[in-house]
Amino acid sequence: MTSSSAPSRKALSKIACNRLQKEMVEWQVNPPAGFKHKVTDNLQRWVIEVSGAPGTLYANEIYQLQVDFPEHYPMEAPQVIFLPPAPLHPHIYSNGHICLDILYDSWSPAMTVSSVCISILSMLSSSTVKQRPADNDRYVKNCRNGRSPKETRWWFHDDKV
Amino acid sequence: MQNHEADGELDSLTKSLPNPDFDDWAKFPDEDDDDIMHLNSSLHAEVEAEADQSHKVPFEPLSSLATEYQSGSTILLEKIKVLSQQYVAIRRTRGDGNCFYRSFMFSYLEHILESQDQAEVDRIKANVEQCRKTLQSLGYAEFTFEDFFALFLEQLETVLQGNETSMSHDELLSRSRDQSISDYGEFVTSGEIRKRSEFFEPFVLGLTNGTVEQFCKSSVEPMGEESDHVHITALSDALGVPIRVVYLDRSSCDSGGVSVNHHDFVPVGGDNPNASGSSETVRPFITLLYRPGHYDILYPM
Repeated sequence: MTSSSAPSRKALSKIACNRLQKEMVEWQVNPPAGFKHKVTDNLQRWVIEVSGAPGTLYANEIYQLQVDFPEHYPMEAPQVIFLPPAPLHPHIYSNGHICLDILYDSWSPAMTVSSVCISILSMLSSSTVKQRPADNDRYVKNCRNGRSPKETRWWFHDDKV
Repeated sequence: MQNHEADGELDSLTKSLPNPDFDDWAKFPDEDDDDIMHLNSSLHAEVEAEADQSHKVPFEPLSSLATEYQSGSTILLEKIKVLSQQYVAIRRTRGDGNCFYRSFMFSYLEHILESQDQAEVDRIKANVEQCRKTLQSLGYAEFTFEDFFALFLEQLETVLQGNETSMSHDELLSRSRDQSISDYGEFVTSGEIRKRSEFFEPFVLGLTNGTVEQFCKSSVEPMGEESDHVHITALSDALGVPIRVVYLDRSSCDSGGVSVNHHDFVPVGGDNPNASGSSETVRPFITLLYRPGHYDILYPM
């Protein structure tokens, strides 16, 4: 049984393996503030603990990000979702999917797990209201067969938060 | 639960096509009835269907291009006639938005394979080293691009014959199916645009209302962003490689006769022998055919 949120996965390519090993080392030397990588021997799935930044709506709250890497990482974006319970945020759906352009159309191989984490924390920190996206229920219902957020055609309506 | 079943089936069939369930999030491409766009989307569909062969770069006589437009616009057919007086063949590249870089890299390696031009290899290696320094000084983490650069340098060595690892034309073709052959173009291009941001700024402003840095982040570095004049100029300058782009569209010229426009991107600066400063006119050894939204490779007579 694979987890429902796992995309059908092929093993990492050689390039992906090399790159992730380097990212892992870089993370150990210089971890992004507010994040803790839960070390496992699984290079293809990272689980990362996020602490809400002090002075923001999410201060003292801890969430978990699950990052799955595709065969052709970093040419393809990783799949990044919040494990339940996902933070209440206007761009985060209750199933953990995150509406953030760099995870989809705007991904580039110049980005790293670390830079993605920083973007997600910044998205949390700039939120002024704790609520779900307006279309949460419909979206989540449509995803119930385990669809990856990478298969959603996202429409990034707003860059305020 | 008919719906549910149909959903599952759709998922397994069309992983990367827009999902009709998500009309609210769906970004519909601008629909128009331009034959070129239609052909491109059918190319997409074909390519998706043959996932295993998706990186193949088939070689076809130029007449295949005419066949493609048989029922299309007469201007295009006239232009293809003009093209066929100068070019013998076309090599089609996958239409996924990275076709410019892939066409360029393949064409470049093929040129080295055929010319065995050691001096050119030495020259481009120096440029690649320069690009590496540029990216470093711009603050890119080295591990994000070093593998791509190393792979390109390795590929350069292998197209030069006389090494144990030398490869044939067939091997180059099969290697080109490997995505990684082209994936450092975006880095080189972005690095060059940012390094010379004052030069590129006016052009970037013509395309977007953001800054040069925003442009690089949103329209150069992501995979699958279409390449425009700015990208081609930057890549050509950074690597010191002239590129000819032939434009096949339905525009016609005032004089009545049909001609096919092309533009030569000739690198500037440096002590580059390919640079525009030299007395003789540079004839680019890379020729790409641009149809709105897509680049293929053209072979001159």
